[in-house]
Amino acid sequence: MKQQNFSKGRTGEMIAAQYLKRHGFEVIEQNWHTKFGEIDIVAKQNKTLVFVEVKLKFGDKFGSPEEMITNVKIKQVLMNAEVYLLTHPEFENYKRRIDGICIVMEGETVSRLTHYENLSA
Amino acid sequence: MLTTILSAAHSGLETIAIEVEVNVFTKGFPGITIIGLPNKAIEEAKERVKTAITNSGFEFPQSKIIINLAPADIPKEGSCYDLPIAVGILHAMGVVQLPKEKSFFYGELSLDGSLRHTKGVLLLALSAKQHSVKELYVPLPSSQEGAVVSNVSVFPVASLHELVLHLNGSKKIAKALIKPGNTESERLVAEFDFNEIIGQNHAKRALTIAAAGGHNLFMQGPPGSGKTMLARAVAGILPPLSPEESLEVTKIYSVTGNIPPGGSLIWARPFRISHHTTSRIGLIGGGSKPHPGEISLAHCGVLFLDEFPEFARSTLESLRQPMEDGEVTVTRAAGTLKFPADFMLIAAANPCPCGYLGDPKRECTCSPRMIMKYQSKLSGPLMDRIDLHVSVPVVEADKLIEHKDVETVSSAKIRERIIKAREVQYKRLSKSGIYMNGSMKNKHISDFVQLTTKASQLLKQAVNAYNLSTRTYFRLIKVSQTIADLEAADAVTETHVAEALQYRVRVE
Repeated sequence: MKQQNFSKGRTGEMIAAQYLKRHGFEVIEQNWHTKFGEIDIVAKQNKTLVFVEVKLKFGDKFGSPEEMITNVKIKQVLMNAEVYLLTHPEFENYKRRIDGICIVMEGETVSRLTHYENLSA
Repeated sequence: MLTTILSAAHSGLETIAIEVEVNVFTKGFPGITIIGLPNKAIEEAKERVKTAITNSGFEFPQSKIIINLAPADIPKEGSCYDLPIAVGILHAMGVVQLPKEKSFFYGELSLDGSLRHTKGVLLLALSAKQHSVKELYVPLPSSQEGAVVSNVSVFPVASLHELVLHLNGSKKIAKALIKPGNTESERLVAEFDFNEIIGQNHAKRALTIAAAGGHNLFMQGPPGSGKTMLARAVAGILPPLSPEESLEVTKIYSVTGNIPPGGSLIWARPFRISHHTTSRIGLIGGGSKPHPGEISLAHCGVLFLDEFPEFARSTLESLRQPMEDGEVTVTRAAGTLKFPADFMLIAAANPCPCGYLGDPKRECTCSPRMIMKYQSKLSGPLMDRIDLHVSVPVVEADKLIEHKDVETVSSAKIRERIIKAREVQYKRLSKSGIYMNGSMKNKHISDFVQLTTKASQLLKQAVNAYNLSTRTYFRLIKVSQTIADLEAADAVTETHVAEALQYRVRVE
């Protein structure tokens, strides 16, 4: 089960990274780890650094992926982002924001992908 | 898209119109935010509304939704905003049209989309005219409360789905009509009938006078003599409420949520019993958001306080001002509110801690200090406000055994006499906004009470002989007037005054 979740996460990140690249973002990191947790994707576009939380669901049996992004989750991402900025001083002058990408899969195909900008606002 | 729905909040017995603004965004992360000082019950409306909309067969929008309750600086509480929020969201999505007339939406939603009984509908209906609102959408179980008010259309809503059909014009909901109430069928059922109580004719007479004129009464006697039984029997002799009184009482009961689902106007006179552990706020009213207390719930009716000296001193003393004014003003940081509290007090007490002080057969075992401490609970100013003081002695054994020979009058007969006496008072006083002798102020006494010369002479003598206070003097006149009304006499004569006087001399 855990193994499945892990591979699911990687699939989601792959799809999201491709989506971002297509939309003019430059993906810097994928699945970046710290002691406290991880950031799914770090990307940049026109001097803005974007931390992306990716959620993937197969079908709608267990609710929408949006329901999985809670205030607690956003706070976690925020904390990890701080750590990332400490270890990467080259982004000091960048604007920052947190985005969410929610993906719904039906079998092998993506049936919906929604990109939410600026979750912490 | 932005939608504004009108709802209401209650502050005391006042109703404030609240605009529920619902904005459904086209961009942004899905979720509902409620602002405008909501309390926990309103915060939880999110989940109720979401589930109710889904279960009513509509789709809940996957969008960011912000709900603002305006004016933003008044704290809101209660579950009545479920319906306006749901209608606002459905309208913003284009599922439902809003009524053409200015309308109030008010009510709590159940998870299945049906509407639950919500308190305060009567006040909402009464305030409709003031806010120039023509239509009211309220839960079906509460609609009878609102139907009482004329010149406003009350629509009883059973479920959210029904309301959508109604507003879209495909299936109309019929306006709520008031069911003809039978005042006699709704009378109080007392635990005891007066003819079950043996002896105590003196106390029965005093209780009859008290109930006829709405006077305060104090009973003192040893344990087991029947004080509590007598007081509880009073519920069976109270006259029904007049239409004006009924509206006043129902307002208080509506806002405190004391009207059962499907209930309408209250016709039975309130009879409230408070235990001696009742807190001061529970009795008088208050709280951080002021709430009516027992004395307001007993408005136009009876408040019975058994074991009177066992109440906290501060609780008893706080009764003084409302007993005089017939209303209570509660001031808190959140604001000042007035609640009506024109009640008739019946208090019962033992003469001392052991209960047998002054008993001819049993000896009192209390020390003088204990008796003093016990009786000091009943302060002079408080006792001064009680018109009738009655001693309830132990009934002798012979009377108990041969009680078949003793003729007793039934509660029904006493009640008839009281109703007649009240009618006389109503005719005389209703123009000045009061309904019974007990609520007369000094100016009313000079306007309405006619004393014969002999009667005023007797009064003068009594005041001098017993050193009666000015308040006692006026209260004596009120009681005399009630005694005269019970006999349907045109003027108050010396016999009436003499009888009133004998209830005034305190039993020591």
